[in-house]
Amino acid sequence: MKILENLSHLRKGETALITGIHAPDSMRYRLQAMGLRTGREAEVIRRPRLGPMQIRIGSVNLIMRRCDAARVTISTQQ
Amino acid sequence: MKRLAIVGMPNTGKSTFFNRLTGSSSRVANWPGVTVDLLSANVVLGGNAVEVVDLPGIYDLHGFSDDEQVVRSFLENNAIDTIGVVLNATQLDHQLPLALQIRKLGIRPVILVNMIDEADQLGVRIDTGALSTALDCPVMPLSARHGTGFNDARDAITRELSAASAVSLNDLRDCLHADDELVAEAEALVSQNVKAPSRLVRKMTERIDHVLLHPVFGLPLFFLAMFLVFQAVYTLGTPLQDGVAYLLDVFRGLALEPLESMLPGNLYGFLVEGLYDGVGTVASFVPVIILFFFFMAIVEDSGYLARAAFLTDSLMAKLGLDGRGFVMILMGFGCNVPALMGTRVMRSRALRLLSMLVIPFSLCSARLQVYLFITTALFTASQAPLVLFFMYLASFAAAFLTALVFGRRLKSDEPFVLELPPYRQPALKQVLLRGWHEIAHFLRRASTFIITGVVLVWLLTHFPAGSTPGGAGTWASMLGLWMKPVLDPIGISPDMSVILLFGFVAKEIVIGALVAMTGLDGSALAGYLATQMDSIQAISFMLFILLYTPCLSTLATQLNESRSWKFAGYSLAWSLGLAWAVSFGFYQGARILGY
Repeated sequence: MKILENLSHLRKGETALITGIHAPDSMRYRLQAMGLRTGREAEVIRRPRLGPMQIRIGSVNLIMRRCDAARVTISTQQ
Repeated sequence: MKRLAIVGMPNTGKSTFFNRLTGSSSRVANWPGVTVDLLSANVVLGGNAVEVVDLPGIYDLHGFSDDEQVVRSFLENNAIDTIGVVLNATQLDHQLPLALQIRKLGIRPVILVNMIDEADQLGVRIDTGALSTALDCPVMPLSARHGTGFNDARDAITRELSAASAVSLNDLRDCLHADDELVAEAEALVSQNVKAPSRLVRKMTERIDHVLLHPVFGLPLFFLAMFLVFQAVYTLGTPLQDGVAYLLDVFRGLALEPLESMLPGNLYGFLVEGLYDGVGTVASFVPVIILFFFFMAIVEDSGYLARAAFLTDSLMAKLGLDGRGFVMILMGFGCNVPALMGTRVMRSRALRLLSMLVIPFSLCSARLQVYLFITTALFTASQAPLVLFFMYLASFAAAFLTALVFGRRLKSDEPFVLELPPYRQPALKQVLLRGWHEIAHFLRRASTFIITGVVLVWLLTHFPAGSTPGGAGTWASMLGLWMKPVLDPIGISPDMSVILLFGFVAKEIVIGALVAMTGLDGSALAGYLATQMDSIQAISFMLFILLYTPCLSTLATQLNESRSWKFAGYSLAWSLGLAWAVSFGFYQGARILGY
């Protein structure tokens, strides 16, 4: 069994490929349009002990709560 | 009349482009099928009268958020000739799908590749000519902020508009192409026509964020920055406020007082002592509001607000709010009205309503005035600052309690995902223009509302005919006696109850109303206050003032922004109830303990 990894597991400075978003349609459209698209590379810029994470996808910097980042599945094998 | 709609993602400089295209002539207007006001302006382009409409920033035409629905229903219900799609040149890979979405609707848009100067500095090279050929529509590089390429872009829009004929888009959602295809097409276009370094290095932004988003120092620095903004607003605002009050007084003496012998007594009293003095009190606060908006525009333009939201989000999440809500509560310590308008950035209605329910408990500058007067009159120099500090604590406590009580009912499942834009130096012209738009909006609303309130207050204190103005026998004093059963248990005397009615209109009027009612000022008024209340009653009175309702402007803004009488009614009922309960608890508790 392979444990599905998600974006909230990544540590500061780590990168991974986005493989999918597990959210209701309306939320998924929003997250995709903000740059979280399948196949893109995401890098964790900040991950404070408390509070949201900062993620970089290409030219876009996003801040997002861990619970929302947990909806984004990733693959770290490159 | 031709019509041009401006569409784009947030943080693309869409409004900057709109402002440069239209100057300061824009106005807020209602549109068929759209429930919020949109900014629009009439300009002449190549001999055609053109109506330009600035639509809310959106990420996607598919979406279900309020803003996305607004854009969709606007495009469906209003005929348009062409669309200006503003894209951020540094993020074409991310933004081109939106442009493609619009291109496929059967309208030839003008694609405005904005912030081309920033892209240049970062080493991004865009072949706009090739993009234009591939998309079969004009693609114009420009910097809306600095004006580079703006004239060419405007000419392209002018050409498109003269050739185009108005189109209505029906059932827009059904025409949208599958996302995956659009993204693939955008990626192909970008890889062929855009040369960019693999990683955009924004050294300045990274260096500033290293300090301002520091895990330990970030939050203290944020509070320091906020403190400095408030200091600046009041240090600069107070002399301006006195200046406006002085000018209004000079005008009154020169132009209005000579009318006293010419007009019937009641009419003069109504027009000058009622209307002019009342509206003048509010007008003298306009400089502080103007400064407040300018500073807010600077902070907003710089990109720091998104950082503030980042820093405070974990605290606010526990209360069912988010980082942006905290920023607005702090704004409310200046004035609740702009803070309420600031919640427009929130997309979920539940989250927005909860934030709007909480903001009115922020101890605004008008309430601070009342407190400064009362604490100086009734407490020793060493007690006064402690009492004031206690009021600030009560303000935060009321806000947090409200969020806890209503958070469960106004639950939002909206993800907290915000774009973190790079820091930008605010452009003076943009800051001034934005400030001007907000001020015009404020004055329009304030004028109708405040005038009504002032007229009512004057009538209450001067009728029925024959009673002493402001004294016994007027409707106001009858109201004072009528409210006695409710306000007596919290230690507020009938005379002070009447003052609470004045304070309902605006807290700024409270001290002025005391002066008018008693005919006393300075130390004599302080002495009078001491006969009306002891220190326990004074604190109870101040708690009530803090919580019962900020002012009619705030109430009107809540109504305007929520477009719901029910919400405004709930908010008023909750704050009145909370005010009474807290004051009752404090006053009776202190009496039981023997104070």
